[in-house]
Amino acid sequence: MKMQESASIPKFTRKDLIPGGEVKWCPGCGDYAILASIQKILPELNTPRENFVFVSGIGCSSRFPYYMNTYGLHSIHGRAPAVATGVKLANPKLSVWVMTGDGDAMSIGGNHLIHALRRNLDLKIVMFNNEIYGLTKGQYSPTTQMGQVTKSSPYGVPDYPFSPLRLALGAGATFVARAFDVDGPHLQAILKEAALHKGSAFIEIWQNCVVFNDSVFDPIVSKESRPDHLLYLEEGQPLLFGKDKENAVISEEMSPRVVPASEAPKERLLVHKSGLQDPAYAFLVSGMTYPEFPVPMGIFRNVQSPAYDEILDGQVKKAKAKAKDNSFMALFDGLETWTIN
Amino acid sequence: MAELLYQHAEPEAVLSGTHFMDGNHAACEGAIAAGCRFAAGYPITPSTEIVERFAERAPHVGAMFIQMEDEIASSICLQGAVWGGLKAMTVTSGPGFSLMMEHTGYAAMTETPCVFVDVQRAGPSTGLPTLPAQGDMLQCRFGSHGDYEAIALCPSSVQECFDFMIEAFNLAEAYRVPVFFMMDECVGHMTEKLVIPDAREISVLGRRFTKKPPEEFLPYAPGEDLVPEMVKAGDGYRFHVTGLTHDERGYPSTTLATQRQLVVRLIEKIQRNAPKIWKWEERNLQGAEVAVISYGISARVALKAIELAKQDGIQAGLFRLITVWPFPGQRIQELATRVRAIVVPELNLRGQVANEVERAVQGRCPVVPVGHPGGGVHDPQDIFHAIKEALS
Repeated sequence: MKMQESASIPKFTRKDLIPGGEVKWCPGCGDYAILASIQKILPELNTPRENFVFVSGIGCSSRFPYYMNTYGLHSIHGRAPAVATGVKLANPKLSVWVMTGDGDAMSIGGNHLIHALRRNLDLKIVMFNNEIYGLTKGQYSPTTQMGQVTKSSPYGVPDYPFSPLRLALGAGATFVARAFDVDGPHLQAILKEAALHKGSAFIEIWQNCVVFNDSVFDPIVSKESRPDHLLYLEEGQPLLFGKDKENAVISEEMSPRVVPASEAPKERLLVHKSGLQDPAYAFLVSGMTYPEFPVPMGIFRNVQSPAYDEILDGQVKKAKAKAKDNSFMALFDGLETWTIN
Repeated sequence: MAELLYQHAEPEAVLSGTHFMDGNHAACEGAIAAGCRFAAGYPITPSTEIVERFAERAPHVGAMFIQMEDEIASSICLQGAVWGGLKAMTVTSGPGFSLMMEHTGYAAMTETPCVFVDVQRAGPSTGLPTLPAQGDMLQCRFGSHGDYEAIALCPSSVQECFDFMIEAFNLAEAYRVPVFFMMDECVGHMTEKLVIPDAREISVLGRRFTKKPPEEFLPYAPGEDLVPEMVKAGDGYRFHVTGLTHDERGYPSTTLATQRQLVVRLIEKIQRNAPKIWKWEERNLQGAEVAVISYGISARVALKAIELAKQDGIQAGLFRLITVWPFPGQRIQELATRVRAIVVPELNLRGQVANEVERAVQGRCPVVPVGHPGGGVHDPQDIFHAIKEALS
């Protein structure tokens, strides 16, 4: 049955997703890699092309829908999760993607983001994090590092930055992952897992802004830095890193700690599990930051919970099945009437 | 050009019969009868009963209600639902309406047909949450930045909350604009007789979906009436919707020529069709010395004042605006040549509609605004005195 269904879906290729016309990101921008990765994985998802909808807000990342030959809604700054909620509810068969940035999602759209995640609506929220406002030419964003000098923080950023992953975990996202622009195969694997997840998915992608925040992730993601400062999370594998996996991350008083692998007590060695219902482990690992820790990349949380559209569908069926008194008096009385004796 | 396809309402969704109901509930029933199948809202007095009823009715009519995190989200979520293929509305009151201004502009720019219901309460700011006003009449017209035209309707009875809500949805589909359903707390909470007709007697305008083949379709190429045809996500056509100035393909084009072409069309598609949109009611204007121009609950209070004037030997009549925007200025200009004075009672202090009347009248006769801070309705005596003074 399944095979027949999939056979009937018209096939499309990466090329069908390219609408033509000029892509207006700066030469060398990390966004090109993300665009290429999405265009690569979509044909592999067994979904007809006309079922993809890309919704964005405002910012460099939000130009994304222009460059996809799918449905595109370039909405208002911060509001993409709310728009996407409407699209998905109106037609649940659509595969709805929110393309957003650190300013769009974490600042002006923070409220919409956390509520979309909390509802576990089946949306794929892809946040391009370049730790800067690029489109407006270089002001600090909610993820810019403290102390960094930008055009709007001439004496250094006085705010504490958000941890996007921890924000998503705190909001109850059922799929939380991080990848980065220059490792295409890893990014594509993560995006594909997110697409297959039923429920809200949040993917943070580190993306280099070549003009206004160049090389900000290099101490972690450059080829030379990766062995010591980046840790690929692998399901069921212990958190080991270094050229020869000579370092381990253990848990000590509910916090991570780096020790030589040879000295890691087995019972305290952290082993990666993304499927834990309790987000405590994901929260712990997502708090590992440079330079104290190797920075983890991969899927932090991937759990199944009924999605909002499924819950709503269940409610409709239940309400319809229940013999409904459609009389005027029943409606007029509603739920909050009482009789005084 | 896609023809306007009127159908009758879905019989299973319409509660035909005679009811005793308040305006908020009647507005909800009107929306359901009009084919609204998606509502997004955030609780706010005095409008919440509309979505409460919608939430309860939704599963039985194949509709959906979502309580969003705020009014900003509600007013854009519903536009997502429209592009997903549904008719949609949001419901609010003053403070929430202020938050929605960003998205009234987006709906105007992207030509997303939808309905914003504002059950007006006294402001500014939190003001008087449970008491009436008519202080958002300019906000619905000019609240978002930039140039655009919108449609606003003011019901003044429970029956009209039902009837004109259907009209509001039909106008939204016909012209692809946000339509503002400007109720007030009195009309919303007033309970009176409502007759819901048979579904076959209710005309509902379907969405103007294109019949062109996908390769020929241009999402923002207007028809003869200046309104472009629509598509929905998932039906094989492609669209790109943006709040940026866009060309006929829907893609950004940031040139003066495109800006002029687009924004002029957004305005003209309403201005040129205004005579088809206008609705008003006239009472006793034949031979009247004074015309009272009003709307919503104030128009009903004005009737009492007209009665008092008659007892005093003054012939006064009522011109009740149902469509406030686009403003029926031509009709009012004509009226001004036939009466000695015009009196405009409304529940705001700065003559939000009175100023527009004055602009239309252009000095042909005196225009006397009768302001009120909101929080109640006029004392009919105050309107009566204004009628008398206007003649002196």
